[in-house]
Amino acid sequence: MNTSILAIECHLPSKVVSNQDLAAEFPEWAIEKIQENTGVMQRHVAAPEECASDLAESAARKLFTSGVCSPDEVDYLLLCTQCPDYFLPTTACLLQSKLGISTRAGALDFNLGCSGYVYGLGLAQGLIHSGQACKVLLLTTGTYTRFVNAKDRSTRTLFGDAATATLLSASAAPGEFRSSFVCGTDGSGAEHLIVPAGGMRQPCSSETAQEVTDDKGNCRSANNVYMNGLEVFSFTLRAVPQCVRQVLGRSGKRLEEIDLFVFHQANLYMLEQLRKAIRIPREKFCLCLESVGNTVASSIPIALKEALDQQRLKAGQTVMLVGFGVGFSWAATIMEWPMVGCAVHTVSSTDQVESKESTPSRS
Amino acid sequence: MSMDTGDLGTFYRNLEEILDLEPGTLKGGEALADLESWDSVAAMGFIGMAYEKYGVTIPAIRLPECKTVDNLSTLISTR
Repeated sequence: MNTSILAIECHLPSKVVSNQDLAAEFPEWAIEKIQENTGVMQRHVAAPEECASDLAESAARKLFTSGVCSPDEVDYLLLCTQCPDYFLPTTACLLQSKLGISTRAGALDFNLGCSGYVYGLGLAQGLIHSGQACKVLLLTTGTYTRFVNAKDRSTRTLFGDAATATLLSASAAPGEFRSSFVCGTDGSGAEHLIVPAGGMRQPCSSETAQEVTDDKGNCRSANNVYMNGLEVFSFTLRAVPQCVRQVLGRSGKRLEEIDLFVFHQANLYMLEQLRKAIRIPREKFCLCLESVGNTVASSIPIALKEALDQQRLKAGQTVMLVGFGVGFSWAATIMEWPMVGCAVHTVSSTDQVESKESTPSRS
Repeated sequence: MSMDTGDLGTFYRNLEEILDLEPGTLKGGEALADLESWDSVAAMGFIGMAYEKYGVTIPAIRLPECKTVDNLSTLISTR
């Protein structure tokens, strides 16, 4: 039993914070240089009353509205988030009810960030291959900006909020989603990308809310996200090239046979360093963070959807997805995009549904 | 273990590119604190250069130990 990605849909909060907005608020932030290095010009920010489940609900509703399936056809809901609505109950359970998904469906949250989408694809494939599910709705969502201290240049310029919905289905057709997966974990790097307070280890208090300014002028408290950019960068160079080699080996593919590379959209400088280190041709390497920033687990599906909308990814082509970051955690997969007879639904910027029957033609 | 003279020259040129300095500017004894363009972005560039050109990954935690340009070259040659 193979697995197909039938549709991907995205939702971005309506509020946008541009680099001009940040420059006006913090003239000393050298925004132009930050833009040059991060590649981010604007990021979407959830409204104060918006939670991760609200964003995910919007993404899922767009997917259902497209007609690719109805809520009651979904028999498993996977939600990837590090910003749950509550400690309990499970946010995926809330979404089952909100979306009108069958009470016979399974639903769970899994807590991963930048690697989460690829892990989610692997989990979905496992559920489908084991016969536990036929139609899996994989949601990624986050309100990371809620963790960001407004006076922390290292994070405020980078992160954006978003949600995505991906529908995966069992398929009897040959040649679809013949995916290979590789994953890895190095928890010794946990301290380098962390929200120290607010969980069970260190509940929020008046002490954790105390703001401290570091030697670079960035201000944050233990309630805010802290990121050691240099350590995260060093980690990506250690882990990602090796992960790419491993997934190529597992799939039996050579680098040259990959038609498109979609990495977690961490920041432009890091992506360019990785691209050069792995020797990926520029024209095959997706960059999609200029208008949305680093959207954590949503960054890969957002980039994938953009590639589909721009026809950079076509039926029959081979795509590599690589997620890496907070944890430290990483995962990669190589998949062949759906072939003949498998409709791939994308939604254009005007929200009109386009349903394309894929063909085996390759670019 | 330090780099030999020829390799050091290449290292200085690579670092000059990252620091946006004229080729031939660096002699090795410069204090990093005195180099205006040595910031977190340059540090990231150094880590990237170490990987791309020398095949070594530098843990960021080792960087504060480096006070001079030659300390950076030693960091690479001892990995």
